[in-house]
Amino acid sequence: MEGLRLENKKKKLIDDKGKRLDGRKWDELRPISLQVGLMKNADGSAYIEWGKNKIMAAVYGPKEVHPKHQVLPNRALLRCRYHMAPFSVDERKNPAPSRREIEISKVIREALVPAVIVEDYPRTAIEVWVEVLQSDGGSRVAGITAASLALADAGINMRDLVVGCSCGIIDDHVVADLDDTEDKEGSGDMPVAIMPNLGQVSLLQVDGIFTRDQFKKAFELAIEKGKQVYAMQREALTSKFFGGEPMSTEVEEVAE
Amino acid sequence: MIQRKQVIPGDVIAKGTYRYGSNIEKRGDEYIALRVGLAEVGTDGLKLNPLTGPYLPRAEDEVIGKVADINGFGWVVDINSCFDGFLPASFVFGREFSPATHDLSSKFALGDMIGARIESYERSRDPQLSIRGHGYGKIESGEIIKISPTKVPRLIGRRGAMINMISEKTGCDIRVGQNGVVVVNGPPEGLVKTAKAIKIVEEEAHSADLMAKIEAYLGGTEVGK
Amino acid sequence: MKKNYVVETIRKAQMVQLLVEGKRMDERALDQHRPLKIETGIIQKANGSARVTLGNTQVIAGVKIATGTPFPDTPDKGLLVVNAEILPMSSPYAEPGPPSEEAIELARVVDRGIRESEMVDLTKLCLIPGKSVVTVFVDCNIMNVDGNLFDATSYAVVSALRTAKMKKYIVKDDKVEATDDIVPVPVERTPVSVTMARIGDRLIVDPNAEEEASMDMRVTITTDDDGNVCASQKGEASTISPAHVLEAVDTSIKVGKEIRKMILEAVK
Repeated sequence: MEGLRLENKKKKLIDDKGKRLDGRKWDELRPISLQVGLMKNADGSAYIEWGKNKIMAAVYGPKEVHPKHQVLPNRALLRCRYHMAPFSVDERKNPAPSRREIEISKVIREALVPAVIVEDYPRTAIEVWVEVLQSDGGSRVAGITAASLALADAGINMRDLVVGCSCGIIDDHVVADLDDTEDKEGSGDMPVAIMPNLGQVSLLQVDGIFTRDQFKKAFELAIEKGKQVYAMQREALTSKFFGGEPMSTEVEEVAE
Repeated sequence: MIQRKQVIPGDVIAKGTYRYGSNIEKRGDEYIALRVGLAEVGTDGLKLNPLTGPYLPRAEDEVIGKVADINGFGWVVDINSCFDGFLPASFVFGREFSPATHDLSSKFALGDMIGARIESYERSRDPQLSIRGHGYGKIESGEIIKISPTKVPRLIGRRGAMINMISEKTGCDIRVGQNGVVVVNGPPEGLVKTAKAIKIVEEEAHSADLMAKIEAYLGGTEVGK
Repeated sequence: MKKNYVVETIRKAQMVQLLVEGKRMDERALDQHRPLKIETGIIQKANGSARVTLGNTQVIAGVKIATGTPFPDTPDKGLLVVNAEILPMSSPYAEPGPPSEEAIELARVVDRGIRESEMVDLTKLCLIPGKSVVTVFVDCNIMNVDGNLFDATSYAVVSALRTAKMKKYIVKDDKVEATDDIVPVPVERTPVSVTMARIGDRLIVDPNAEEEASMDMRVTITTDDDGNVCASQKGEASTISPAHVLEAVDTSIKVGKEIRKMILEAVK
């Protein structure tokens, strides 16, 4: 009874015309902007705004490993920290890393490592710092998207970029890219990161109930939307290094 | 004929059978770029000139480093890389070197710039430096400019064409370390022009007519002639 | 062990030679600060926020408002907490982990300038004396380090506070309630911190990283709108002469006036 009443009181997240609270269609992404190389000291950096998320990712390395006992003889040690600024959320967050941040740091690292050719940098450390200045739904996938650009900006050898998108369930519908409210009020969230050229998944988390069909639909949508974000990633990287000229298909012939 | 292509990590440079250089990975019959850069597709070979990336030490490279630490047996030299270079005191003081009698900082102090050669480097040990040979050792003066190590080949140009042109037109002596550290000596107005020319090389390393751009910037006149 | 930033001997020699002539490597006058950019309202989830770019040094400050319990010795005053984190992304010499000695000194010196100038009227933040007060948290993220964190952080905190807004609280039946009315955080003054480094016998304003790595001594002097000194801190393992102390006060008052104008312009 108690549960039912709560269910009724919940606000509707999708209206009769299929519009979400912020006016988006079920499969529509929030606005995304990406910039590469804003930070002066870091070897590589990228800034992403995705919905209300504002996240800076920076990379240092390859560099010497401290403490020495952590050295890996045949590959680089990838360090990753996902951290939220105390002012990034509604209620002030304690600056010390929470269990949530520690777990997210780990899964971000494990989403990025498959793309990095760690064997090319034995005995070194590569550091990835992800700082959430303002947090909204999907901050981990936004962080991964920025971090992979920061790695490419630093010139670390990579098999592919890594790009994320999260899908979920609100009012029993599969939708793309949950914002804060949908994440809290919805019944399921599925952050996914992919390596788009390799067609592999490097992050998968699920939080909430999905039927087999919903799972398939949400998972495939996350991949499709991830590819859409990948196009923006390409553009941001190209615009830094080639001045925004179209590049992917452009072939220029030079007489030798 | 060579085709040039702007690529980012994960891009397919070409399909088929080619010889290929570093920063490229073969996957089935596809050749994949591992770095942001300019790929060159020749009739039989593939090359990727990266536009960003760290300096990884190689034996025989000429580098310019900074003394970052001194210990009992030599100098730890920051060579703008993931590993510090080590210059053993015995290479400088000879075999009779003894930590008790020789003062290392009298030779090279903290912060001193050194032109050196990477004598040996294996993956299991930090690069060892040597200053034997003409022109190596302490750098006494000059303007320090740092560029991305990946752009050093463009700054030097084919058989030194680019660097020689900048040097002639500005009247400056320019020393380029493979690690991206450049030291310039010369008249004040030449220093300013050199710094700007190097900046253009750094920013437009991806453009095909870089040499012409630099020549246009520096103009036809040669300083001091 | 982490290494410290070592300035190249030949650059330091040029720097010292130029200082003798009253000049600096980046062509600034001795009492000239680097280009200063202040952007406010950049974090919508914060009650107030600012990004300050001073040369290549960049700091983001965010204000968060909460209710809390007052200290027993100041039962009728709200709380102000200033905290700074030198992010590991800010420089190759920074490390993750609990705040370093350096970060704590930074936060405390910035806090002192704000507190002692009575910038925030803490008495207006008392809700129920001895029981409930408004707590103002100002957290600072040091994003990129190129010297003089003291001033950049101070300007960010002042600008964030100057633009901060909060829910109006009322007391009903001895209970605190937040209303839907939005009011500004009660800010009265604009303290301005000016940091100087001594290299040899020269005092220079707003040292960059290279100058800091070459300095013998550092001194921060914060002044208020009336040109009174409200906080100061000498740092580094060397001394300052009494004549230099007074010179530093005069410079801080003069440079502070100019920067106060820029801050007030930015928070309008």
